[in-house]
Amino acid sequence: MNHWLTAPILIPLLGGIIQIFIGYAPISLRRTLALSTTVLLLVSTIGLLALASDGSYRVYTFGNWAPPFGIVLILDRLSALMLLMTAILAFFCHLFAVHKTDESSRQFHALFLFQLLGLNIAFLTGDLFNLFVAFEVLLIASYGLLMQGTGTKRTIPSLHYVVLNLAGSAVFLISVGMLYSVTGTLNMADLAVKVPQVSAEDLPLVKAGGLMLLVVFGLKAAILPLCFWLPKAYGAATAPVAALFAVMTKVGFYAIVRVFTLIFGADAGPLAHLGLDWLFPLALATLAMGVVGAIGSRSLRTLITWQVIISIGTLLAAVGLGTQEGTSAALFYLLNTTWIVAGLFLVVDLIAGQRGAAADKIVTAPPMYNRTLLSVLFMLGAVASVGLPPLSGFFAKLLILQAATPGPQLAWLWGGLIIGSFFTLIAYSRAGSIVFWRTVEGHVSQPERLTLPLTVAAGGLVGMAVVIVLLAGPISAYVDATAEQLFNTSEYLAILQAQVVVGGL
Amino acid sequence: MTLSLVVLLPFLGAVAAPLFAQAGRTAIAIASSVPALIALMALFPHWKRLADGGVLVQTFEWMPSIGLSLSFRLDGLSLLFALLILVIGLLIILYARYYLKPHENVGKFYAMLLCFKGAMLGIVLSSNLLLMLVFWELTSLTSFLLISFWNHKKDARRGARMALAVTGGGGLALLAGILLIGRIVGSYELDDVLAAADLIQAHALYPFALTLVLLGAFTKSAQFPFHFWLPHAMQAPTPVSAYLHSATMVKAGIFLMARLYPALAGTEQWFYMVSFTGMATLLIGAYVALFKHDLKGLLAHSTVSHLGLITLLFGMGTKLAAVAALFHVINHATFKASLFMAAGIIDHETGTRDMRRINGLWQFMPHTATLAMVAAASMAGVPLLNGFLSKEMFFAESLALNLPGLWAYVPPLVATLAGIFAVAYSARFIHDVFFNGKPKDLPVYPPHEPPRYMKIPVEILVFACVMVGMFPAISIGPLLNIAASATLAGNVPDYQLAVMHGFNLPLLMSFLAFFGGLLMYSQRQRFFDFHARFKEIDEKAIFEKVALKMEDLAATFTHMLESGSLQRYALLFVLSAIAVAWGPISELGVFVGANGLSPIDVPTATGALVLMLCAVGTAAMHRTRFYALILLSVVGLLVALAFARFSAPDLAMTQLSVEVVTIVLLMMALYYMPSWTPIEASWSRRIRDIAIALVAGAGMTLITLAMLTQPFDSISSYFLEHSKKGGGGTNVVNVILVDFRGFDTLGEITVLAIAALGIYTLLKNVQLTPPPGDGHGHPWTRDAYPVMLRQIARPMLPLALMVSLYIFLRGHNLPGGGFIAGLITAVALLLQYIASGMQWTQARVSIRYHNVIGLGLLFAVVAGAGSYAFGFPFLTSTFGYITWPVVGKFEVASALIFDLGVYLTVIGATLLALVSLGNLSPHSAITHLKGGE
Amino acid sequence: MELAFALTIGTLTASGVYLLLRARTFPVIVGLTLLSYGVNLFLFSTGRLVTGGQPILGSTDNYSDPLPQALVLTAIVIGFAMTAFVVVLALRKQADHHDDHVDGRESSARLRLEDEEEDGR
Repeated sequence: MNHWLTAPILIPLLGGIIQIFIGYAPISLRRTLALSTTVLLLVSTIGLLALASDGSYRVYTFGNWAPPFGIVLILDRLSALMLLMTAILAFFCHLFAVHKTDESSRQFHALFLFQLLGLNIAFLTGDLFNLFVAFEVLLIASYGLLMQGTGTKRTIPSLHYVVLNLAGSAVFLISVGMLYSVTGTLNMADLAVKVPQVSAEDLPLVKAGGLMLLVVFGLKAAILPLCFWLPKAYGAATAPVAALFAVMTKVGFYAIVRVFTLIFGADAGPLAHLGLDWLFPLALATLAMGVVGAIGSRSLRTLITWQVIISIGTLLAAVGLGTQEGTSAALFYLLNTTWIVAGLFLVVDLIAGQRGAAADKIVTAPPMYNRTLLSVLFMLGAVASVGLPPLSGFFAKLLILQAATPGPQLAWLWGGLIIGSFFTLIAYSRAGSIVFWRTVEGHVSQPERLTLPLTVAAGGLVGMAVVIVLLAGPISAYVDATAEQLFNTSEYLAILQAQVVVGGL
Repeated sequence: MTLSLVVLLPFLGAVAAPLFAQAGRTAIAIASSVPALIALMALFPHWKRLADGGVLVQTFEWMPSIGLSLSFRLDGLSLLFALLILVIGLLIILYARYYLKPHENVGKFYAMLLCFKGAMLGIVLSSNLLLMLVFWELTSLTSFLLISFWNHKKDARRGARMALAVTGGGGLALLAGILLIGRIVGSYELDDVLAAADLIQAHALYPFALTLVLLGAFTKSAQFPFHFWLPHAMQAPTPVSAYLHSATMVKAGIFLMARLYPALAGTEQWFYMVSFTGMATLLIGAYVALFKHDLKGLLAHSTVSHLGLITLLFGMGTKLAAVAALFHVINHATFKASLFMAAGIIDHETGTRDMRRINGLWQFMPHTATLAMVAAASMAGVPLLNGFLSKEMFFAESLALNLPGLWAYVPPLVATLAGIFAVAYSARFIHDVFFNGKPKDLPVYPPHEPPRYMKIPVEILVFACVMVGMFPAISIGPLLNIAASATLAGNVPDYQLAVMHGFNLPLLMSFLAFFGGLLMYSQRQRFFDFHARFKEIDEKAIFEKVALKMEDLAATFTHMLESGSLQRYALLFVLSAIAVAWGPISELGVFVGANGLSPIDVPTATGALVLMLCAVGTAAMHRTRFYALILLSVVGLLVALAFARFSAPDLAMTQLSVEVVTIVLLMMALYYMPSWTPIEASWSRRIRDIAIALVAGAGMTLITLAMLTQPFDSISSYFLEHSKKGGGGTNVVNVILVDFRGFDTLGEITVLAIAALGIYTLLKNVQLTPPPGDGHGHPWTRDAYPVMLRQIARPMLPLALMVSLYIFLRGHNLPGGGFIAGLITAVALLLQYIASGMQWTQARVSIRYHNVIGLGLLFAVVAGAGSYAFGFPFLTSTFGYITWPVVGKFEVASALIFDLGVYLTVIGATLLALVSLGNLSPHSAITHLKGGE
Repeated sequence: MELAFALTIGTLTASGVYLLLRARTFPVIVGLTLLSYGVNLFLFSTGRLVTGGQPILGSTDNYSDPLPQALVLTAIVIGFAMTAFVVVLALRKQADHHDDHVDGRESSARLRLEDEEEDGR
């Protein structure tokens, strides 16, 4: 029983509780404590990754109740990867927030940490209903975060976001209920055992439940036709929040990967590969939609929000191949896109701060104060997002392209990805050249100067594009192993034999 | 090691160069030439081995999983191109030193130039196709930045974007092509690919692979119909034009064809695609060049045409043609680079590039003029110059090509025609610029010779033209030879490089071209008039228009879908849920499971009926919001009853208490909102929604029916069994909440806490002024705090607290528990607020609810973490029995502390939310008449 | 009994969905509440319908399934939190745009203006 598994949950939880108490303490104190919480979390997740990279499953039985009766946390390569990815992202976003946007509300840090709490529970839990609870935690926190900042432009997008997700939660509960009503269990591993044995007359219930689950996750992941809430919501959020939200859609992605390889995977008997036939075409459509949106964008912020949708389309298309290679490639791409898109959100915010009234709109404006630095950061992000060499995006795309097996799927995937890249290339080059080069005389009255922390936060995330390339070998090895572990479900089922602590110390 | 170093050096240089920017242009120029010099020295020792037909390959692992390795290869072909890149690169650096103005961003320029050089070297030295592609796209990016060096110019920006779109796009096609080749061969290593020619050409995917690869090559080498980007790239500073767009980058496509020649060439498809593209490009380029008034424009189009010539030669597919192609690569690089530099000098000295204004420069800059004329003559293919030799070979090959029937005449005719044009535009370059009367209103007058050193690069290149032209065999023979042998995989045909091959057909063609060209130039006015009839098409404008059009279309399309309408999004969500569930449910149908239906008693039936009626009523009457709310509360109560009816006392109590608070909440909200909902949706719209709602309802009904009547067994027996002995409680639901699934509860109260915090932030300094009346025109009652209510409310408080304590304590064994108790306390306190107002209550209940929430969560966490101390996992509970004096035997479970956490969080959260709602308006019904009496 | 229960859930869902598709915040919220009633009843009933079998040990001989009850309890609490939040958000909407249309149609013009101002900083 390795208590470290609870670290990614207890650290942000306690940190958040502290923030509640010291809501009226001087901001410097709140910042220090909050940021150190995030750093602590980062450290712990690194430890967990090291732990998980031996390829075995680690089980944590809450309340010392053996699965499937109690709630369990499961640490495997995938969850460790998600945790670390999120922690790194969170660190940079938090760093940015601490130096720019956290004055707006006394609750910011609490909400931020609770957001991480929800995310981490979602990545670790091995229980379907607990996954629902985790979703609710991260959602309610995200509602709060979304409304951070001054002004009224966030209200309507937030309202849409909240209402849709409430509807989503309702459907989530229905699906869980349907699965329970047949299998009589909630533990994912146990579900994976029970689902293949479902009797013929119960099959429709499970099938409907599973597919509705896919819809719910699809809503979170913002897959067509459930993606339209995203651009305005992310476009309205303050920069660090929008950047952190880069991982929100990835939770949906994670849930799809987890549930639909474990419970409805190849071994699910009559329900094997449930939903795959929906996933692949919808993912490609999402990709196309994202590209169109990117081309039509009138502001950098909007462009990036559509990039989020492009990413999710690409990710799910790769997963939709239903092969181990596809999933592995998707995971590699996941790291790239999550960090880069988040970084771009931050960079765009810095750009907007230096262009006065023009802000992030793709229009002529006076030259920026730190044009060179910002243009370099933007170009790094753009190249990585489009997937041109020599940055990480290229290798990620390469992996996905190679993952396709000959046949119509290959044609569709290659066509979609390559043509998509071409048009996003045009979109980014247009946007970049106008924003950075098509300038008018004059200067912006007091532009927001870059401070070191802000630059580090934005540059750090965008710079991941280089880091990933340098570590390309090890990373691809890790994601390969992850996909392999993921597809070898029988190992996962072994957690049901997890022993509880007897006698304690 | 050597090769990777050669590639790496320029990039290091790019990082270092800007540091010298402060030290002046000379310093940075010297610094920038270091990498090339080292590289040349590093390559030199390998000459011997290559001369013997050897190959040098060096490989390092990178991403084996995708077959990408850092493997480099030096053979004749790569050596030839590497030398071009390095040597001309050095000359360019020297030239740029004098070309650039001191105030310009020299550091940036040299840095990007070096980046490009590195990328270019990478292309020619890569032995792994994927690695080559990496560098390929890198050249697209660097050239994008170099073309837009003067990014304040609109044309520079557009030219750069266009170049990036075309070449970058081509690169993507190439990527696909290479991946296909990789699939066919099973490796991206050049050795394997070149060895697998038969396999590749026999494969079903060969046509696709070839097409995609050629797309990459053609776009990069500006072949028709992708040639249009090159002339517009001339917005770049002249050193860039000379380097990228005549000597090196545009040759990358040619290089690719040469590199993969053994693997891909020799098929029908190759022949037709490559040779005809080349022919078209050759002619179009040559024709347009004649009519360009812009000096660089003329050179650009002539470059296009020469690239077409080389492509055509590769297309012919004969070995000699390939040799000729390589030969012309060298020659074109030398004379065209020098011509560009000369053009740059003229531009530099006269301030314009318009040939209608630049005339008679001979008097002003004879030295430059001589150099330029020699180079131009070589471009025209005048004997004793290198251009002549390769063009001879080209003519010869065009004749040697044996096509069926009349087709046989096409290549020679095209060749000759292009030759004529070439001579004509070369003649124009010479005559128009250096003679032809006096210069007309030059911006800079009088022009004079450039700085001495600026001419050195030109001199060197022109000298090369002459040397090669006169002594080909000794000057270029060996290099060409090994390059050819590398291209043709060893078997080089026997050919001799000589100034004269005796009087033969090719020579005749040359003469035809020469005099035809002169004639054409003398009659140029007719041609100009003829050409003037056609409207000049500006590809850049078209490209921009298309781009803009696309942008607008995309924007409108996006806006159409992403309309910002919640109703649309919600509809899409509901429909998707229905869509996926439809299949399974329809195969389920009206299904009654093995357990069958149990009889229903009258009360239950009535309850259900009323519930349904109220639900429908709520929907039907939602316009008059107050009634809708009343009905909603009835629904809530009946749901509570349903829970009670079907043996869930805890749920019933919870539902009841939540119901109360929710309704209060909605009441308060409604107070600020319009109390009517206007009719907005059309009838059809409403009918549509009703239909969708009915489908959803029907679906749920069928699912529930099937589920309820199906037998099943769950893990619950375990809970019933272990609740007492493991959890120490007889109320199994409560034990599940605080013990078996305590972690869920922890999450649940966290949600409650976050929600409260969120609400608090939402309402922070938000002001809402309520409507004067209730919407029916009635004003609000003046008596906000009725005496009756106050009189009842205040004594209720201690009572309620007693009750909640009792409920709380018994929760573990009987219906109750922290949550319900918490809500009861909250409601009791809330009652005080409602009855006596904010001021009055806050004066008496002086708690900061944030802290209550924090405390609650803390209790829960601490209770859970306590078990760490005993080596048990988080939330492990323990319990024991103690005997209190009065109460008697009493059970204390650690879970009780956890439940206390729940209790506190619920109180804190509920009150924080409702109180901040109460503070919303300065004079709301809850707060006005400040402090009650 | 089962049929009545199923019909009840169906009715709740239908009314909820219909209101969810309305254009004003208040009906939408009411709709979500109705929907959650339906969902809670459904989730509760996944343990099947048992009368007189409350899961209090020793109180009866055939216990109803306690697990769904615990789940529903959690769901109710979370639902309560969510409802509270969305209600307040609706009020915020009212305060910011002076109407309760979910898309702020009427005030969209003013809204755009406000955005300009904000981007203007």
